[in-house]
Amino acid sequence: MLAAALLALAVLLPAAHALADDLPSFVHDGQLTLCTNPTLPPMTFVNGSDTNALAGMDIDLARRLAAYWHVALIPQTMDFEGLFPSLSAQRCGMVISGVLRQAGRLRNYDAVAYLDSTVVAVARVGTPKIREMADLSGQTVAVQSGTSYAAQIERENDRLRASGRPPIILQQYPTEDQVVQQVLIGRVHAFISQDVELYYRQKQLGGKVTIILTPDYPDFHQFAVYIRKDSRDSALLQKAIDELSQKGEIAAMAKKWGISGDHQSVFTERNAPSRFDFATFFGALFSTAFLKGAALTLVIALLSHLTAIAISIPMAMKLNGRDSIIRRLLGLYVAVFRGAPTLLQLLFIWNALPQFFPIFREHWFTPFLATWLSLSINESAYQVEINRAALRAVDPGQVLAADALGMTTAQTYRHVIFPQALRIALPPTINEFISLLKTTSLASVISLQELLAVTQIQVARTFQFTEYYAAALVYYLAMVFFFLFLQKRIERRFIWADRNKASADAA
Amino acid sequence: MQLSTSPDPTARISIRGLSKFYKDYLALDRIDLDISKGEKIVVLGPSGSGKSTFIRCLNRIEPHDSGVLMIDGHVIDDRTDLTALRGSVGMVFQNYNLFPHLSVLDNCTLAPRLVRGITKSDAEATARRYLSQVNIAEQAEKFPIQLSGGQQQRVAIARALCMNPEIILFDEPTAALDPESISGIVGIMRDLADQGITTVCVTHEMGFARHIADRIVFMDRGAVLEVTPPEEFFTAPRTERARTFLAQMIRH
Ligand SMILES: Nc1ncnc2c1ncn2[C@@H]1O[C@H](COP(=O)(O)OP(=O)(O)OP(=O)(O)O)[C@@H](O)[C@H]1O
Ligand SMILES: [Mg+2]
Repeated sequence: MLAAALLALAVLLPAAHALADDLPSFVHDGQLTLCTNPTLPPMTFVNGSDTNALAGMDIDLARRLAAYWHVALIPQTMDFEGLFPSLSAQRCGMVISGVLRQAGRLRNYDAVAYLDSTVVAVARVGTPKIREMADLSGQTVAVQSGTSYAAQIERENDRLRASGRPPIILQQYPTEDQVVQQVLIGRVHAFISQDVELYYRQKQLGGKVTIILTPDYPDFHQFAVYIRKDSRDSALLQKAIDELSQKGEIAAMAKKWGISGDHQSVFTERNAPSRFDFATFFGALFSTAFLKGAALTLVIALLSHLTAIAISIPMAMKLNGRDSIIRRLLGLYVAVFRGAPTLLQLLFIWNALPQFFPIFREHWFTPFLATWLSLSINESAYQVEINRAALRAVDPGQVLAADALGMTTAQTYRHVIFPQALRIALPPTINEFISLLKTTSLASVISLQELLAVTQIQVARTFQFTEYYAAALVYYLAMVFFFLFLQKRIERRFIWADRNKASADAA
Repeated sequence: MQLSTSPDPTARISIRGLSKFYKDYLALDRIDLDISKGEKIVVLGPSGSGKSTFIRCLNRIEPHDSGVLMIDGHVIDDRTDLTALRGSVGMVFQNYNLFPHLSVLDNCTLAPRLVRGITKSDAEATARRYLSQVNIAEQAEKFPIQLSGGQQQRVAIARALCMNPEIILFDEPTAALDPESISGIVGIMRDLADQGITTVCVTHEMGFARHIADRIVFMDRGAVLEVTPPEEFFTAPRTERARTFLAQMIRH
């Protein structure tokens, strides 16, 4: 079956004649794995409401390279900051994500350029043009975090400070659409990006923004494919891209995605809607992408919290018990996982763990599992305190009475202590759950397609952030209110703790 | 009464040289005592004298450190089957310690079902019988929080009775009760004795002690100083310590 498919490919693409020993080392097991952050149209983005349907110049190039080597393309999406750590962690073989070829990155990775580009500084329409970056002195400028624009602005700032002028104030945002948004809402003076992105965004941005400067930075002229350092791999990749280039395939891709060299035509259209678009809002609300995102948010929060509860009950019992080595270790566990930011824990488990234990870079260790693992551990450190307080609040006389009746320790916990502790633990547990439900949005950094990740990808595509944010808000609120309602229902079952209610119930 | 040095296997409870330490603190100091079937023993003594510790040793909620404890001819030590022991020695507490999340009926059936493996319907039939014996049958479906203190203590007694014990230990059962409720409990404890159940009761109520006791056990600093019938104890205590104890009690 596979052999037949390969044979068919070989016939269809006679020019691509890759032999097994011509394959770069990052291509193996019949797969080419790609890391990309699909929020930068037209290079890499999600075209349509299906978040798995990647599109763009970079995706076409990746598919073409996979075909060139006769293997399947396995793309993985993640936040921009996650791209290079994932490449190092061998979670993917290459990064193609609108990343510029730059000297700084070449120290740690190899890069092969595939497309020329220009840096642009963009501001709201009507902003006067400037002559050089230094003219932005004292102004606020937004860039996408993890990109090299920030370092470039720092270099400008060093020069500005040296000449006694105020520096450029830098703001960094995790996605490109948020960067553009800051200019549109007037929070920042300008943003720095690549010209190609503007071509694509002309529909949304037409008439709203203008290029105020095209700074000539030598390091910002080419988009490149990044791989781990390996001279043979790098030569093989260069050869592949050269071949595709010579045949005009790369130019064709650029043309297909509207990447052409005319800046000014971008900003002539004036048809951008500015009012709240209810059709988009309801479309998003009832889209399968949002439903799936919300379901994933709910499932990961429920699973993580249930796991956290399950591990935190024996932990709480141990922590309430006599002093021991285990008790001290548990105390340390609680301190560490409550002390470290949840986001850091997620990134650590996803990006650092594979460096210590290679099995965590295998395919079974999905973003879902990583999120489940790290949120369970993190949440258990909070839940354990709730459990401890609840267990302590049960009168020791209860244990004495059960003991005097001949009940075993297990029976005492199951029938006497837990039912009473549950009543005390329930309200703070539901509170914790609601907070966890919102914490799941952090998992977008390790590419879990939960509700907020879906929202951001849609915003990046359409730029209708108000409508998509509103739809996400509706989902979050609906989930939270449902659990508050559930809490009220469960609390009604604890009439035994309230004399008035118990009597009213009996009457 | 002079006791032989070896325990008496015909007594319901036979105690020889029973001692107990909390770390290096001697809480029980070489106690000797025989208690016969159906007897009503009241343990008196100042606060901290070891009364609670003593009766808790009898169902091994607190294990003793040295000496011999024999119940119905069986030596109680770390090899004793605790489930069987707790079944034959019931306990009632000052604060009742009912299970607040269970109805009165379920309080009475939980242990028989879990520990004895009795079916729900059998356990409930037994429970209702004992609940009517302590005059509280009509409250069976309520939760403890809905009952008065006296009612709760009667539920606690019924709960202990449901395990069919031969001995019931009471630790200040009337301390939280009003006089009317106390007389109710006195009546119930008399009934228990008539059924052949041995009761050992710690109390601070002299009137209650005088009413109920066959014998008074007077403790001070972990040791038993006197074992005498109530008339004698209250009119002519043998030890100086008991005299000052009684004098203080009457003043209060
Ligand atoms: N678990 C324990 N650990 C250490 N010391 C204890 C413990 N339980 C009781 N003691 C000590 O043993 C002594 C006897 O306590 P016990 O509770 O038996 O006294 P009591 O005669 O019942 O007093 P009260 O009339 O106040 O209830 C006291 O000094 C008490 O502080
Ligand atoms: Mg006591």
